[in-house]
Order: sequence, then C-alpha cells, then structure tokens
Amino acid sequence: MQVIEYSAVLFFAVPLAILLINILFPKQLAEKFSIYLAGIAAITQIAASAAGFLLLSAYRLHEYEFSFWDMTNAGSVRFGVNTFSLVILFCIGLVSLASILVANRTVDKKRAGYVNLLMMLMLGMNGMVMVTDLFSLYVFLEIVGIASFVLIAMFKSDTGLEGAFKYLVMSILASIMILTGLSFIFMQTGSLQYAHVVGMNLLEGQSSPQLMLIYAAMTLMIAGFGIKTGAVPFHSWLPDAHQSANTAVSVLLSGIVIKVAGIYGFIVLTGLFSKLPAVNMALAIMGTVSIIIGALFALRQNHFKRIVAYSSVSQMGYILLGLSAGSILGLLGAVVHVFNHATFKSTLFTNAAAVHEQTGTYDIDEMGGLEKKMPVTGFSSLAAFMSTAGIPPFAGFWSKLLIIMALWDSGFQLFAAIALFASIFTAVYFLRLQKKVFFGKLLSKFAGLTEIGGSIKFAQIMLTVVTIATGLFFPFALLYLKGIGIL
Amino acid sequence: MNAFVETAMLVVGFLLIIAGCYGLIRTYHLLKIVIGVEVAMKAVTMFIVLAGFINGKAALAQTFVITVIVIEVVVAVVAVGIAINLYNNYGSMDVRNLKKLKG
Amino acid sequence: MEAVVYICLGLMFIFGVLAVMFRSILKSAIALAVASAMLGIIMYVLGSVWAAIFEISVCSGLITVIFISAISLSNTDKQDLAKLYEDKERMAFLPTVLIISGVTLLLVVTSPAFSLPAAVPVAEAADTLRETLWIHRQVDIWGQAMVIITGALTVVALFKERE
Repeated sequence: MQVIEYSAVLFFAVPLAILLINILFPKQLAEKFSIYLAGIAAITQIAASAAGFLLLSAYRLHEYEFSFWDMTNAGSVRFGVNTFSLVILFCIGLVSLASILVANRTVDKKRAGYVNLLMMLMLGMNGMVMVTDLFSLYVFLEIVGIASFVLIAMFKSDTGLEGAFKYLVMSILASIMILTGLSFIFMQTGSLQYAHVVGMNLLEGQSSPQLMLIYAAMTLMIAGFGIKTGAVPFHSWLPDAHQSANTAVSVLLSGIVIKVAGIYGFIVLTGLFSKLPAVNMALAIMGTVSIIIGALFALRQNHFKRIVAYSSVSQMGYILLGLSAGSILGLLGAVVHVFNHATFKSTLFTNAAAVHEQTGTYDIDEMGGLEKKMPVTGFSSLAAFMSTAGIPPFAGFWSKLLIIMALWDSGFQLFAAIALFASIFTAVYFLRLQKKVFFGKLLSKFAGLTEIGGSIKFAQIMLTVVTIATGLFFPFALLYLKGIGIL
Repeated sequence: MNAFVETAMLVVGFLLIIAGCYGLIRTYHLLKIVIGVEVAMKAVTMFIVLAGFINGKAALAQTFVITVIVIEVVVAVVAVGIAINLYNNYGSMDVRNLKKLKG
Repeated sequence: MEAVVYICLGLMFIFGVLAVMFRSILKSAIALAVASAMLGIIMYVLGSVWAAIFEISVCSGLITVIFISAISLSNTDKQDLAKLYEDKERMAFLPTVLIISGVTLLLVVTSPAFSLPAAVPVAEAADTLRETLWIHRQVDIWGQAMVIITGALTVVALFKERE
C-alpha cells in the first residue's frame, strides 16, 4: 500500500516542485528549461496514475484516502482516489503532455509563465478529482478557472483577452450558481462531505416544503456545471475562448479542462443525488440538445479551431447522456468517452497548430490538398475524426456503444436513438473539414510546404497511436474491468 | 430570532443576485461588469452564513466564508487585470469593442 | 438585535442596487464597499465573528482598493465617459425588474409549499473555529494557498509591462 500512498502524494508534490524550481531559477534559464521540467511533471503524472490504477485493481480496492496532516480526526476532509478518478488523472497527464509538446513550438515568449500556470492548472484539476467534499470541489474548481483565464489572456492579443473575459464572466456566474446551490444543501445537511451528503438521504424524512430548496439547489448546480462544461444552452463562451487561446492552451482547455471542471462535477452530482430522477432527466435533455446544436454550429464555421471547439460541445453531450443513464455502465461509458475525447481532441488541436505553423492560417477555405505535403497530419486527423464519429474499430466507437447501451438499459430509448442518429452529423462536419483542408487539389501557393517536425510531430504520432491502440484493445480492457469487478 | 429574519435574508439575497446579474448583462463598462458580479457574490456569502446559522454549524460556515472571500479577491484581481489589458489594447473600457470573435 | 439585522439588510440591499445603478465607477465601488460592510455587520450579529472581520477588511477594503487602482490606471471615471456608456438608459428598468421579482419571491416564500428548516441553536466551544479550519478543513487551507499562488502568478502574467 506504500506505493499507492506515494503515487497519490505525487499528484500534488510534482507540480509544486516544478513551480518552485521555475520561480527560484534565473529568468533566462527558466525560459529555456521550464518546458522540459513541465514535460517531466506530465510524464510523472501519467506514470503515477497508471501505477495507482494497476495497484488499486490488483488489491481489489476501489478507493484510497489520504490527507496531509492529522488523519486521526474522524470529521476531517481528506483526499481520496478511486479507479474512475485515476483514469481522469491519467487523461490530465496525457493532455498536459500533448499541450507541452505543442507549446514547445507555438509559445515563444513567456514560456516560464506558461509553465507556471500550467502547473497550477494541473494542481487544480488533480485536486478537483481527488477531493471528497463538495466545498473543496468548488475551491479547486476556482483554481482551475483562474489558471485557465490567465492562460488564455497572458499573451495579451485582442482576441485572447476577449475570449478570456467572456470565459471569466460566464465562469463567475457558474460559481455563483454552484455556491448558492451548495449553501442550500449545506443548510439541510450541515456538512458537504460526499459521504455525509449521501448518508443524509435528502429526499426521505423531509417535509415536502423543504424539497423546494433542494430542487432549487439542484437546478442551480446543474446550470453552473453546465456552464463549466459548455453544454448548450450555456455554450456561448466555449468556442470564443477555445478559438482565441494559444493552440497549446486550446489543447488543454478542450482536451481536459471542460471535462474536469464540468463533467467531473456532474459525475459527483449524479453519484450523490442518484435518487432524484429529475437530475438524470435534465442531464439527458441537456446532452441531447448539446449533441445536435453543437454539431449544427460546427457545420457553419470556417475557422479550424472553432469547428473543433464546437465539436467539443457536441461530444460533451454524449458524456452527459452517458451520465444521465445513472448506471455503472453509463458512468463507465462516460469516463471512457472522457479518455477518448481527451486523446482525439488533443490530436485535432495539435493538427490545428501544425497546419497553422506551416501555412500561417486557420481559415479552412484557404487550404486544400495538404495531405500530399503533410501526410502525418492528414492521417492523424483522419484517425481522430473516425474516432470522434464512432466508426469501428476506433476508440470512439466503443465508448459511444457503451453509452447507448446504458441509455437503452435505463429506459431512455428515445435518447439512445437520437444519440445514434446524431453521429451522422459528426461525420458530416468532420468530412467537410477533412475535405477542405487535406483532400482535393493542392493550391499553388502551398507548393513548397513541408511536413511539421519536432515535438508537434511527436505529439501527433503519440496521440494517434493511443487512439488506435485503445480502439483495437478495448475489448480486452473491458474483460479486465469485468475481471476486477467494476462492471 | 424567528424564521422571518431568515426568510427576509433569503429574499434580499436573491434580489441582490438578480440586481447584480442585471447590471452585468446591461452595462457597457468592463469594470461595472465586475462590480455586478461582486454584488451577486455578496449575496452568496450571505447565503452561506445564513445556512450556517440555520443548521447550527456556524464554525464550518465561517471557514467556508473565509475561503470564499479569498477566492473572491483573487477572481476580482484577475477580472480587473484582464479589463485593464483590454483598456491598454483598445483605449476604452467599452464592452462593444469585444466583437472580434464571432460565428 | 433583530432590528440591527433588518436595518443592515435594508442598507445592504440599497447600496448593492446603487452599486449597479451609479453612473460613476468610483461611486459604484464605494457603494459596493458599504454594502460589504453592512454584510460584515450582519455576519457579526449572527455570530460569525471571524468571517465578519474578513468581510470588512478584505472585501470592503481590499476590493475597493483594487477597483480604485483600476480606475486610476484606466482613467475612465470622467463624466463624458459616463455618457458614452449610456448607463442611465441601460439601467432604467432595474427597479421594475426588482419589484416584479421581489413580489414573485414574496409569493413563493409565503406560499405553504415553502419553508426553511428550523434554526438549530449553536452549541460549540470558543476555539472550534481554529479546529474546524486547520484540522477538519485542511483541504480547503491547501486550496486557499493554491488560489493565492495562482493570484500571484496572475499579477506577474497580466500586469508586467510589455517588453
């Protein structure tokens, strides 16, 4: 068990250590080497979460709790990891690594600042996934939020500042809603720890008048986390923020931040309030609307990153649908889709960076036939979009299958049918992107174009290998999960 | 004290949130947006104290409030920082400048 | 004591609305500070002494300082600028909105379908705040430290002069 303890503490210790080193070193050195230190942090996180996952399942444990000082006091809040949160921690490491590899090319000035804020973002996200208390969840949610605003704004371009301000205002509205909801729940329960809130069983033994406050709290919290997720109708900030940020930051935002800040909140909510059918219904409706509206908006865009950002809105809908099923199968589908979405969305944003580095534009109308000159980018983009559209045997197929099966089992047949049907939209908008950018005739001005090299190429290959390998080996992973008793 | 005070606090809190959000939506000034947000945050802080007062866990509510206040200040610093940078780029604090991202 | 709560609640509401409605940013910031101070008094009366001190010193003091320095950095508090932002016309409907939503809320809270949980008397020793903060809520302390570090990094990233 010692090993798990160390690996759990690593999630906080490593980013903090890198931050300290970065601040203490002279500025020139920090600008030069901080990006490598950040890479070390991301790789450590990947290794620690993988090791933790294997150990937890080897011991047949599903969770492990720890705290920094004084564990003895029974009422104290502590950190905990379980099998699902370790998967999300793994995604955090993977997407951070992809972002660092992209940043190696796209971030020229302020590398040290980027790395510092990235470390805080990782700390915040790790904290969110590991806390066992609703209020601490809110505290770490704010760290994630603040670090993301500053990451978008720190390069001080007009669009970056604009996107950051829009995100900031929507995000503060979200935290107002979440905090109000939390205070209403706290009013009833007297504690906000997950274990206590579940144990209190808010619905039974309450006189019906007080139900009004609980339903108000639920509505506010669903809306709040909906804003953080970027689900329709709260999506207005998402494409702006994700488009305007530096591409290395977009990888982070679209790849992991919306999932940890939004979806993980929903995972906690559905876990705590599974007895309220209205919560599941609200998630199902929000998910379906997100899938359709996000895909329709993606069809109308001409900006490479904006298409991919709207695609995130649409894919978040699938994860919400999976959670709305309210079963362990649905949760598994949602978490696997979080993982898959993290890989293929990072791939697509990495490709956006590659295309921008080589052609100098994001406008897909100005591109065409790039596949002949940039075969790696073309292929990784194709693999990512096949996975997004859920074409077997790519990874996205399996997670969507799990989600639709879970919906069908829980009696949401209509939503399952819509989710299945809406996959066609996904295929359509990505075919349009692929056709305009990579297929067709090569424009004469791109005659001297070369394939991107260096760290971005490495990131593309790494992420594509992960996507394809997940797709091919997923049945074995399912068997393994069944073996350790999760399914 | 009777339940009347608590209900009054609840109503006033919601009204303040509505006022803050109204100001946030209607104003054209970047700093006024932040002020609208702060007004709403005041109400939220009051809700937490009220909750602690009702359920008898005043100490827990106090720790929540202290944490929320710290977060509130940092968020205000970030918001004001972004607003000032926008001012440096555009020369005014007008929200109507923010029209570059569309579609 | 109840009277103090009512008075402060009323003043907090008035100054909160004024903070939104004032045309001058400086006046808005000061109204916000007054509303915050009123909230501090309410907290004190309800027994949250330490939170009240934080509210009055940090929210009512520090945030006002932040706003005033922002105003002086951006030099936007001139009367002709206030016209530019059309605040008077834009805010004209706020009282109507507040009255309508106030009446709606009153109807909701007076209806038999609504009730608050009954208040439980506080039975805690004097030093429970320290224990709650440092032992029960150690995760939050950790989180607060992170928030403050992030704030420091923010100041470095956003306020440093351009090279």
